[in-house]
Amino acid sequence: MSFLQAILDGLLIGGVYAVISIGLTLVYGVMGIVNFAQAEFLTIGMFVAWFAWAFLGLDPVLAAPLSFAVAFAIGWVVQGQLIARILSAPAVAQIFLTVGILIVIENGSLLLFGSQFRSVTTSYQTSSLSLGPLFISVPYLIAFAMSLACGIVLWWFMRASWFGRAMRATAQNPAAARLMGIDTALMYKLAFALGVGLTAFGGAVILPYVTVFPGVGGQYVVLMFTVVVLGGLGSVAGAVVGGLAVGVIQSLSSLVFPIQLQNLVLFVVFILVLAVRPQGLVGANR
Amino acid sequence: MKQRIAVGILIVAAALLPLALDPRGYWIRVLAITLLFAAMAQAWNIVGGLANQISLGHAAFFGIGAYTSTVLLKFGISPWLGMFAGGVLGGLAAFIVAIPTMRLQGHYFALATLAFGEVMRVIANVWTSLTGGPGGLSVPFSAPSFWDYSFKLLRPHAYIALAALIVVTAIFEIIRRSAMGYRLRAIRQNQSAAEVIGVDTTRVKLQAAVISGALMAMLGTLYAQIAVFFDPDTVFSIAGISIRIALIAIIGGVGTAAGPILGAFFIIPLEEIMNDLFSSRAAGLSQLVFGAILIAVILWRPRGFITVFDALRARASRTVTP
Repeated sequence: MSFLQAILDGLLIGGVYAVISIGLTLVYGVMGIVNFAQAEFLTIGMFVAWFAWAFLGLDPVLAAPLSFAVAFAIGWVVQGQLIARILSAPAVAQIFLTVGILIVIENGSLLLFGSQFRSVTTSYQTSSLSLGPLFISVPYLIAFAMSLACGIVLWWFMRASWFGRAMRATAQNPAAARLMGIDTALMYKLAFALGVGLTAFGGAVILPYVTVFPGVGGQYVVLMFTVVVLGGLGSVAGAVVGGLAVGVIQSLSSLVFPIQLQNLVLFVVFILVLAVRPQGLVGANR
Repeated sequence: MKQRIAVGILIVAAALLPLALDPRGYWIRVLAITLLFAAMAQAWNIVGGLANQISLGHAAFFGIGAYTSTVLLKFGISPWLGMFAGGVLGGLAAFIVAIPTMRLQGHYFALATLAFGEVMRVIANVWTSLTGGPGGLSVPFSAPSFWDYSFKLLRPHAYIALAALIVVTAIFEIIRRSAMGYRLRAIRQNQSAAEVIGVDTTRVKLQAAVISGALMAMLGTLYAQIAVFFDPDTVFSIAGISIRIALIAIIGGVGTAAGPILGAFFIIPLEEIMNDLFSSRAAGLSQLVFGAILIAVILWRPRGFITVFDALRARASRTVTP
């Protein structure tokens, strides 16, 4: 029974992993840039939600759109002012520009907010529903539901809206997209801002069951990359599968291994997947 | 010829510098660390520069070296011997990690090596009976002697780091000018084309990775002897080791012998000065400024500082020939 419980917990957590990682895969899919600073926007989202809770009394889950908006604005500026300049530079310059952004955001939040751990208290934090012999943790369920809603909105946006279609056209062939009158620089800004906004959104919805501090993003870096690589870099559908898979792997490995080794299992899976199927489990289709 | 004279002058100047600094002071330590990081970045440069395989996990080999010699020293084995034992283990680890990752390129290779560095950090934290775990490991004290790699002052450490930098740079230059160097650069330019003309790309990359990993591990011993105490999160650090040495090589100019040295003499003293200025006033400010300077340098010179000299030279030659 603990096996089924672990799978259920894993799927619920994995849904959030999917949303925070979609941003990473979106940026790569549209621009071919791996944003090493992506996890820092999770930190930003968590801080925004924490302050909204502490000063406005807003539930972190309701503050998630606010987190999205703040990260979206920062992402818009970062893309327009910094990343746009190195789109055609060698991969090393791209990697290290985003590493520089990571350092600035992490230490900027240390400077502004200090190194203490902050958490929120909500009415539903410790409650759970019972489903036959299984328990569903309410904060996990809420985070999962919010992620699902966010994923559906994104799916609609990418499929049906003009901006979504223009963005996908830019990803496929920037030159052809320009010829069709699409402002590709604008699409890049939109993709990057949307990507980091989603990650910040995910940061807000998990706040009821985690704590926030300036280095929290670092704990999610390898996890996010694992999700994205499992699903295939650049594939949004892949990130969903990858997110759920990582949640379940993490949850199941905690049944067998001590808690300190939980991430080790993940890293080994990550390296093996890279070695065996670098195009991801889902395949190369975007 | 001109170049050789310049290199000779630089080495003599570097050899005199430790004598000019206060042997009990702060700057001799900065110098030793700078020379050590220059050597580490140079070891990284063999794979990262020549083959353009951007490793973000070189801390794995560095930590293996630091732990190997320190654990052996507890059994009374000289760090000099421990250094070579660490080199063998580091080379072996590089071989093992290279098998699954060598076919990967660009971002994928960077990600795989990043994860490998984390694997080693987690193992070192968990394997407490060997490493002391998160509590860290002290290098056993021994009376000052060269054989025991123990000194009262930091000056000998600076000279050993300088010697290490010269040796690693020499190895880098030898590889760069050899057939292996040409093969690695062929891979950098175009892997498929290199294969077509008969380069055994897997084998060449494997060789480079093992040499680079072994050198990195040997430098880990130098660090352990200078630091005297370390823990897994320090020697296996992503930001503190893996990314920092890659940065040093990249800012200086990747794939050139001078790049890592320029980069180290820019970045390490800069970090030290900023820590000195800001860390007492506000935590995080020095690293924040550091990150901002990094962004500025990459936007200004995406191919490294060394291109500044190329540009100057181009301008000079333009003015000479009318």
